[in-house]
Amino acid sequence: MQAWWLVPFCKTLHYFGIAFLVGVVGLVDLRIFGVAKGLPLRPLQRLMPWAVVSFLLAAVSGYALLRINPSTALGPPVNLAFAAKMLCLALIGLNDVLYLATGLKRQVDGVGAGEHASASAKIVAGVSMLLWVGVVFWSRMLTFLAGAI
Amino acid sequence: MHIIEILQQWTENNAFFIWLRESPSIWAFPTVYFLHTIGLIFTAGASLVIDARLLGAGKKLPVAPLAGYFRAIWIGFWLTAISGAVMVGSDLETKLTNRLFPIKMVLVAIAVALMIVLRRRMGASEEWRAVPLSTRMLAAASLVCWLSAVAAGRFMAYF
Repeated sequence: MQAWWLVPFCKTLHYFGIAFLVGVVGLVDLRIFGVAKGLPLRPLQRLMPWAVVSFLLAAVSGYALLRINPSTALGPPVNLAFAAKMLCLALIGLNDVLYLATGLKRQVDGVGAGEHASASAKIVAGVSMLLWVGVVFWSRMLTFLAGAI
Repeated sequence: MHIIEILQQWTENNAFFIWLRESPSIWAFPTVYFLHTIGLIFTAGASLVIDARLLGAGKKLPVAPLAGYFRAIWIGFWLTAISGAVMVGSDLETKLTNRLFPIKMVLVAIAVALMIVLRRRMGASEEWRAVPLSTRMLAAASLVCWLSAVAAGRFMAYF
């Protein structure tokens, strides 16, 4: 028998990771959209390593939750919500790789206080926000859809 | 009649709350739960980042323009509060007898009050050479309150 607090403890760590991660990513994406325009983007994007650490916390605690109760997320029958969540995360990874590889991040670094970000930066930020909302949506549906499909 | 009883009677007979309790659709209770989660993640997350900045992370980031995010944070807060109220309304008995629920509410109230104070202080930050000690202590308190509120929310289902 596992301790009663193990699952809520892992869920708490999972939420801590996601909250800080989505906090950093959300502030960067919103700034690209023109919210808090007085902020230069370079020092804001310098916070991204914190988001990576938060992601690792969320990933490790999420993996622990998966190991504790594999059937909730994995089925059988296949839990489509979990698959959709993983797909959203993979697309976020792809979006981030393209953001770095195309040099768009460097271009956004040059956006100073009071300046507009480019349309392509806004597209990447919009995709990022939609996908993160998708991750949270499918996470929430995960327990409700477990065994339902 | 006691206020709780009046509330209980109202939510028991209200068509919206009946639908919320009884509908198997993912657009009923699961969606309210999702709105609560997305709202709290953004509200707590953005506040935590601002707290971290005041505590010394990302020193090159100017503090005063960070206040520009507060409108978005308030939208997130009200989304969380309204969906939370709906969740409590659909399950008054369990929520109101849960020992962690009042603790969570107090933590959120303190965290929100601290954010209001911090926002006011951030407005005058152009005169700072470093973040004043009292502001750093308020930011640390805010960080602890947000994290504890999130933890209390997670543990509530297990109490």
